[in-house]
Amino acid sequence: MAVKLSLRWKIVGGFGLLLVLIGLLGYVTLSLFSSLRQVQRRVFNDAVPGVVAVDEIVRSYTAQSAAVRGFLLLPSDPLLEQYLAEVSNVEDVVEESRSLFTSSLELELLDDLTQAGEDFQTSVEQDVVPLAEEGKRSLAQATFSQEGAPLILQIERLGRELRNLQREVVLRAEDDLQTRSNQARITLVAVIIGALGVGLLLTILLPRRLSSSLSELVEAARAIGRGDFDQKIDIRSGDEVEELGHRFTEMQGALKRLQQLALQDRELEIAGAIQRNLQQRTMPNTATVRLVPIQRQANLVGGDWYDVDVDHSSVTVAVGDASGKGIAAALMATVALSVLRAERGQGASARRIIERANEALKEATEPESFTTLIYATIDLATGQAGWLNMGHPSPFMLTSNDKDERTDGRPQGYFLEGPRNRALGWFDDPGMAETTIQLGPGDRLILYTDGFLEAKSPDGAIFGENRFAEALIRLAPLDSNELGEELVRDVEHFAAGKLDDDLTMLVIEFQGARLTQETTEGGNPEVRAAKTEN
Amino acid sequence: MAQQKVEIDIQDKGDYKVLVPVGDLDVYTVGSLRDALGKMIEDKTPSVVVDLDGVPFMDSSGLGALMGGVRRLREAGGDLAIACTREQHLKLFTITGFGEGVSIAPTVEEAAKGFRE
Repeated sequence: MAVKLSLRWKIVGGFGLLLVLIGLLGYVTLSLFSSLRQVQRRVFNDAVPGVVAVDEIVRSYTAQSAAVRGFLLLPSDPLLEQYLAEVSNVEDVVEESRSLFTSSLELELLDDLTQAGEDFQTSVEQDVVPLAEEGKRSLAQATFSQEGAPLILQIERLGRELRNLQREVVLRAEDDLQTRSNQARITLVAVIIGALGVGLLLTILLPRRLSSSLSELVEAARAIGRGDFDQKIDIRSGDEVEELGHRFTEMQGALKRLQQLALQDRELEIAGAIQRNLQQRTMPNTATVRLVPIQRQANLVGGDWYDVDVDHSSVTVAVGDASGKGIAAALMATVALSVLRAERGQGASARRIIERANEALKEATEPESFTTLIYATIDLATGQAGWLNMGHPSPFMLTSNDKDERTDGRPQGYFLEGPRNRALGWFDDPGMAETTIQLGPGDRLILYTDGFLEAKSPDGAIFGENRFAEALIRLAPLDSNELGEELVRDVEHFAAGKLDDDLTMLVIEFQGARLTQETTEGGNPEVRAAKTEN
Repeated sequence: MAQQKVEIDIQDKGDYKVLVPVGDLDVYTVGSLRDALGKMIEDKTPSVVVDLDGVPFMDSSGLGALMGGVRRLREAGGDLAIACTREQHLKLFTITGFGEGVSIAPTVEEAAKGFRE
């Protein structure tokens, strides 16, 4: 998983690291100076003065020895005074230089050296000089050669050793200094590389990455300007810019959906306009048949349509429903209606009209599309109604009186199940079985589309035939117009206002006189009363 | 506008495939079924049983997709049969007449027996 670091923390972290590195650099430099000073102190304050002191001590004893030798060759006071002056000098030097030697080995050598010096002075002052002053010069010379000279040699040897020790101190200091400076160099190189790395990150990589991420966003924003919402944004910086990228992608999706919705709305607007233009604006008036259309267009535009035509003896009514939704459904409705009107205008029979509509729909539309319809003709004088049901829901009958023999006097609403044919636009031969029925005065034949039956409640229940029939029977006392409006309100209420399909209904109300004899030439419909249970 | 989804499960029965849509088949979801049927033709497995037992609601768009599928699969040398026990859908097939000429049976196996040769 990538480490998520905000941009702020990246910058703060980078500069923080840089500060730590600078601090380390300062510390290393300071400690280098301090160790240099220590070495300097050891060399210049201890080792070099130590060497000088040793040289002075050895020189002083050698000078004492030379003064004594001179005195033995030619006794004179100045030489003795010189000797004494050197003795005093060597004491001072030893006293002063003792603090310069710190190691036990050095002090031991210094002690040996001063001891040899003291032995030399004792030999000179107690043996050699008194013998010389007694005039026994040869004896004094022999004694000096025998006792004093070896001590001087010993002093010189000890002096060399002591000097060597001081040189070793200097060499060790040099080594130490070398080691420390090497460590400092390595640390310095590491710090410099680290600082360069952090600096590079802060000054080049971070801005470049930031700028490349932002360029990606800018490019995507430009694409949106061109109407392209599919520009892919892939920023994996783990910071606010990546977050911005995610939000941007979401925005692209939202804009795309918005665009689709806008297009869909436009499409539905067009489909709605097409469908509205198909509607008949005025209903023809006849003396015996009243026609009441009721229509609610769904948001999605369901492809419902109806058509009414009156001639001198009959009224022809068609209620159709094209499958699917939107422009496709509206155009299918246009095809069906155009054929229907054109053929009827030429005086074609109902069968011929349906045949032609089937052919046109088969040719003009996709195999997914079909149209169901009822094509009915009602005789204005007799009230005899006949229809072709092409895959459409069965018509509903509301009778006028409560003594209808067809329902044994029960309430006056039932579905009329006649011989049915197949939907148009799919089959070569959809069938042409006709249903006929005799309408009595006040009878209402109701043609409708499946939008009523298939209306869905928010919890998924279907309005269905039973609710439909019950509602119609309940609303039967109302005028056909009110009945239709109330029924639509019922369905809308059931669907919580969300209709996915159009609601279309045509109430055909017969207002003629009752005939004494019923004519049933075609297929007689089977009466199917609505079930009363829920 | 709610964009509901229908999940389509595909089972391989050797000689034919079974499509099991789960969810409503309506104008919102019918594209999935149409695509799945199109893929059957592309994959040269044009014998398909559509099991409607997982479909609580089907409107004319859903029915249209099935009937379009029947025609297209037949053109591709196969067939589409329907397994369905739901009263509501069976009624829709009866009303529209699409129940004639298409094999519709309560089980997938029985429906498959009715494939056109």
